[in-house]
Amino acid sequence: MTTEQTSILILDDEPIVSKRLKPSLERKGYEVESFTHSADALQRVQEKGFDIVVTDLKMEGVDGMQFLTRVKELRPQTEVIVITGFATMATAKESFNKGVFDFLAKPFKLGEIAEVIEKAEAKIKSAQR
Amino acid sequence: MNSFLQQILQLFTGKEKASVPFKILFADFKKSLELNNQILDLIADANDKLSGEYIFDEQYIKLTCHQLTDLVRELIVIINHLTKQSYSELFTSFHRIEEEIAVILQGEIFAPGTEFVLPYGAVSRNLVDAVGEKNANIAEIGSLLNFRIPDGFAITTAAFKAFWEANNLDKKVPEIKRRWRSNEITLEEAADLIQKAILHAQLPKAIEHEILGAATAVMETHKAISPCFAVRSSALGEDGKASFAGQYHSCLGVPLEGVPSAYKEVVASLYTPEVMIYRQNMDYRAEEIIMAVACQLMVPAKASGVMYSYDPLRPETETMLINSAWGLGEPVVSGKTATDHFVIQRQSPHEVREMQIVRKDQSLILQGCGALNNKSVREEQRTEPSLKKQQLLALAEMGIQLEKHFKKPQDVEFTIGHDEQIVILQSRQLHLQLKRPPRACDLTDISSKYPILMRGSGVAAMEGVASGPVWIMRQDKSLRDFPMGAILVARYASPQLARVIHKASGFIADVGSTTGHLATVAREFRVPALFNVENATSILQNGQEITLDTECLTIYKGIVQELHYYNLHEESFEEMYEYRLLRRVLKKIEPLNLIDPNEENFVPKECKTYHDLTRFIHEKAVETIIDLSFYHAHHRDTHAGKLIWDCPLDLMLIDVGGGIDGEHKKGIPAEQISSIPMRELLRGMSWPGIWDMTPVNVDFNSFMSSLTRTPQTRQTSPENVGRNLAVISDEYVNINFRLGYHFTVIDAYVSDRMLDNHIYFRFSGGVTETSRRARRTRLLAKILSHYDFLCELHGDIVVARLKRMDKKRMLRRLFLLGVLVGFTRQLDVKMINDAKIEEYFKQIKEIMEKSNDN
Repeated sequence: MTTEQTSILILDDEPIVSKRLKPSLERKGYEVESFTHSADALQRVQEKGFDIVVTDLKMEGVDGMQFLTRVKELRPQTEVIVITGFATMATAKESFNKGVFDFLAKPFKLGEIAEVIEKAEAKIKSAQR
Repeated sequence: MNSFLQQILQLFTGKEKASVPFKILFADFKKSLELNNQILDLIADANDKLSGEYIFDEQYIKLTCHQLTDLVRELIVIINHLTKQSYSELFTSFHRIEEEIAVILQGEIFAPGTEFVLPYGAVSRNLVDAVGEKNANIAEIGSLLNFRIPDGFAITTAAFKAFWEANNLDKKVPEIKRRWRSNEITLEEAADLIQKAILHAQLPKAIEHEILGAATAVMETHKAISPCFAVRSSALGEDGKASFAGQYHSCLGVPLEGVPSAYKEVVASLYTPEVMIYRQNMDYRAEEIIMAVACQLMVPAKASGVMYSYDPLRPETETMLINSAWGLGEPVVSGKTATDHFVIQRQSPHEVREMQIVRKDQSLILQGCGALNNKSVREEQRTEPSLKKQQLLALAEMGIQLEKHFKKPQDVEFTIGHDEQIVILQSRQLHLQLKRPPRACDLTDISSKYPILMRGSGVAAMEGVASGPVWIMRQDKSLRDFPMGAILVARYASPQLARVIHKASGFIADVGSTTGHLATVAREFRVPALFNVENATSILQNGQEITLDTECLTIYKGIVQELHYYNLHEESFEEMYEYRLLRRVLKKIEPLNLIDPNEENFVPKECKTYHDLTRFIHEKAVETIIDLSFYHAHHRDTHAGKLIWDCPLDLMLIDVGGGIDGEHKKGIPAEQISSIPMRELLRGMSWPGIWDMTPVNVDFNSFMSSLTRTPQTRQTSPENVGRNLAVISDEYVNINFRLGYHFTVIDAYVSDRMLDNHIYFRFSGGVTETSRRARRTRLLAKILSHYDFLCELHGDIVVARLKRMDKKRMLRRLFLLGVLVGFTRQLDVKMINDAKIEEYFKQIKEIMEKSNDN
């Protein structure tokens, strides 16, 4: 096991998402940063590479699809998990084409996203070996 | 599901035009059942979101409300179509509820139809949006914890709204605020302008009249000759997430006739510069700035004080603080006087650790009404402690109970009357000032520090942390003995356990559903609850101290301080805006007021929620189809009549095509039924082996008749027919059994076309539920799952679905449903212990094997 903590960035313009998700993931030992404005998050990913990025799709300003595209360009090994309340086949398809790890429709359970994150973490760790 | 409907419709195409085509009515009926199920499932799912297990946002709440509104509207259109517009009144109730929901979704705290004034006896937590936190809390302290409180009444948010609108303040205030935000005027100027507008506004006569009436009633109850009132704020959210403690104005020693103007003064304090800036920082929405007011009869005070259930600066010392002085509490609260200071151990027997008695020369007292005066304290009392030892102990005990009740450390104001009795004036959340606030990431290693009793099993019906001693519910124990602050551990999450909700710190049940009644109550009272843990009752021991963490599905041995402090410190998710919003809209959706069709209130205009509308329509839909079948019995396309069978099952059969052989004027003999799925169901119901299992001597005939039979003499009249209905065709059956308050619904289509085959089974258990009913639900789920049904449990409703199986297997399962239908009602009586679940499961499997040989 590596001693390095897995780092996660959460971006959702509804504050409740980060408010609930951040402490829950921190309790599981992840290092978590959360944002409600995509511009701030975009700046942050340029400064720091995250292992996992959790992002909403529909947001003001830079939308989730643009954001995750940029994340993947900057650091292709970052695993991106999309959470959205407006899940359509088209958006799901587009996200997967862009190399998204998984796609969760809101509302979802804390346990469900924790599971997806664990899987993403396992993938990252196996790639490092 | 639509394919078979189309087939039924096709059967009629080209035939003679019916005066009232039953096929259309039946399609309506079918649709109404589908909508009914969709609505109930959506409501149950929405309540489930309150458990904290889900991440949801405002968008979800809006979407769910819109979906429900659409479904309910459609349902009303259908019942009116089915009954030739007999229930157009439903639209009136529907539009009212729809409008109320729309207003809530806009963020307004809406208390429609509420009185302007509510006496404390009529206040409960449900009315918090109408009376504010302080009123709701104090009334609850009186009614649920049985502590003495000052008598009084709440001036509601409805009064506030009426006052606001009557004086155009809803336009004036935002305009002044806009000028402040755009820097045209300063904060202080804006506050001053708004306060003046409020103080100069006219209180509508009706409100003034109600306030004076309520104050007079309180005065008369207490035979107070010259009563004085305390008029205080009871804003929304005031004692919760955002504590505006001490920021709002209180008027003390107010004479009866002065209450209305004191009301305006208190309301005006919503707009002091401090509060305005605080609110802006706390991200409060404009619509949430609304105030209810508390008006309480003042208690002549011998001594008064403030208690903190934790030392806010040093919580790790596990002590409580009490400050007190002679006379009224105002100088203690505002810190204007020297006070006696007591430090008391939190743990029972609450040893007094420190006692600093100061010299108290003066005390504030009430001298007649309107006159608050400082009076010299008698020489011998000046250095005497203002609280007696027994009073300290009693206060400490009350503090712990208040903390358990409100789930957070408490800041309590109290008074000691001249009769030495403690009166609680108010209790609100105390914010702990931890040197190093606990962080979520510090909790990652607690599992290695504390012994874990259970982990990873169960579902959180309500998320949160609770610690305390285990109290296991057993048959020989009475809930009356349940101790304050314990964690209730039970085999079943039975609704009767809700009786101790105000005492329990947590609930653990071996078996239970997150959409059941107890889960709903746990969420309402915010008590952490973990269900479906399987063997908690055998692993945990009575009296053992544990810490329950439902988010992580973990039960620790002992008290986990880190978790405890984290929980005391963190903002509870229930206090977040989205949770408040969801709770508010659900009040217009979920409660069921129309229960018994025989009651007077079972009418459209009494429908107060979407659930009421749905329930009413379901009842009327079944009734209508049964009644209609009488009038259309002679229609050449449809045969209808009562089933003639060995068992007196009071069942109306309606054949929509090929379900019955030949014509029959006086009822339909069972042998003549040619509907294959119906035959299989009847075969199951009458299977001889079933009834022999019963240790109680209930023969089939008397059993079935007690359920379903209606008096012979009345059978010819459609109104008096039993409410058991089967609509059949050669390959289809739709059954609605009404057993007591609830229904069994079976809908099945079975043909050689495997892809079209389906079975839907819905069973709901009744209003008065016991653990036996929970066992029955479990047995049903076990059996149905064993035979490949996809089972969902919504509270005590079992919904089972099966699709796309070949004809032979489908029919086997219909036989099974027949067995279960004949069997389930008496199970309530027989499910005396858990062993019965296995026993009956085995017996039913045996029946299935045996019947297969035939």
